[in-house]
Amino acid sequence: MNEEYLRKLNTCIQCGTCIGSCFSGKVTALNTRKILMEYLAKGKPVKEDDTIWFCVTCYACQERCPRGIPLTDILIEARKELVKEKGLPGRLKNAFGFLAEYSALVPARDEHAKLREELGLPLYHSQFVDGARDEVVEIVRKHLGGVVR
Amino acid sequence: MKFFPGCMIHNRYPGIEKALYYVFEKLGIDISPLEGSSCCPAPSITRSVSSELWEELAQRNLKLADGETVITACNGCFTTLLEVSEKSGTGDVRHVAEFFYTEIGVEELKRYVEKRLPLKLAIHYGCHFFRPSKHKKFTSPERPKMLDELVEVFGAESVDYRYKFMCCGGGGGVRAGATEVSHDLLRRKMDGIVEADVDAIAVICPLCMNQFDNGQKELSELVGEDYGIPVIHYVQLLAIAMGMDVEDTGLERHAIVSHSFIEKLVKGEKVED
Repeated sequence: MNEEYLRKLNTCIQCGTCIGSCFSGKVTALNTRKILMEYLAKGKPVKEDDTIWFCVTCYACQERCPRGIPLTDILIEARKELVKEKGLPGRLKNAFGFLAEYSALVPARDEHAKLREELGLPLYHSQFVDGARDEVVEIVRKHLGGVVR
Repeated sequence: MKFFPGCMIHNRYPGIEKALYYVFEKLGIDISPLEGSSCCPAPSITRSVSSELWEELAQRNLKLADGETVITACNGCFTTLLEVSEKSGTGDVRHVAEFFYTEIGVEELKRYVEKRLPLKLAIHYGCHFFRPSKHKKFTSPERPKMLDELVEVFGAESVDYRYKFMCCGGGGGVRAGATEVSHDLLRRKMDGIVEADVDAIAVICPLCMNQFDNGQKELSELVGEDYGIPVIHYVQLLAIAMGMDVEDTGLERHAIVSHSFIEKLVKGEKVED
């Protein structure tokens, strides 16, 4: 775990403002404070806790934390460590597969390209520009070699 | 200036782009597409996997602008490009809503309105427009007012509603990775919006737009909940108020189409000279 994050997490006073501000936590089992405190105690994120992927990263907790702990940033860091250990959760694999193939997390299909044409707009996203797409795909594969197919 | 479309505008809601060019032309500001730009890439989901990838792709996009100001109309693209530009000290990145508000100003924008749109709108900012405040220094991290004032430019009313500042449920990879959760959040938000009895939801982010627009369609199919409230980007509204044909904004190609809303947009109230 990042040393600075560790030091900041250690200043937590357990006030519960984070979980009280959490929109996703109102409709799911996501418990930001629990995830982060376990992360702190064990020095690594808890593998079995998939609720970490329920965070919409709205930054309300981070913004309101009276100790100024960058909670959302730390949660994202914890996700990254989990991905290294057990890979991407199933459905996110598709999105990154698209990025590695089309240079877009949300690629256009024919119908979308057609809509642009109807509106008189050119196709200039790297997905449609050969050299640019190759350049982006190369960067994606360099960093995600082991994560996407 | 260069317009950075990102995937969601280029590949899903191009009507926003069309409207943006219309408005910039009216304002006399030169803008052209950032050709060859890629996925920004999306801030939270990409950083959840590799911050190095996030930074390198963003840097590539910023370099393409070759020193020109980069305008985005998406909160995700804005976040990625703004944060990486701050980190590297290269590039000037603006979100079109804060650009209009700060650089043009509400009073000046009013001068360009040809047709008033006296609508009742549920405004949704989108979390990444105003948080974290460390980077989004231009407005309040709790209750921003910018967009509420921006819709008054063409005579619309921002109606207060329950969960106004709550996330749409689309961010952080939740729509893609935990779709049920994103639907649960959307229902809360939609229940609040329905109570407020509005003509439409006004957004400034195409990811939020997709969540509200296609999300409503999915809720209708999955749980039979038919909210039927149309979603529109602020730039589309402003373009219509400045005289753009409603048809050209791509509104009729959204998942939720309301004919009574389109009628109101077509009709409006002509501004006398």
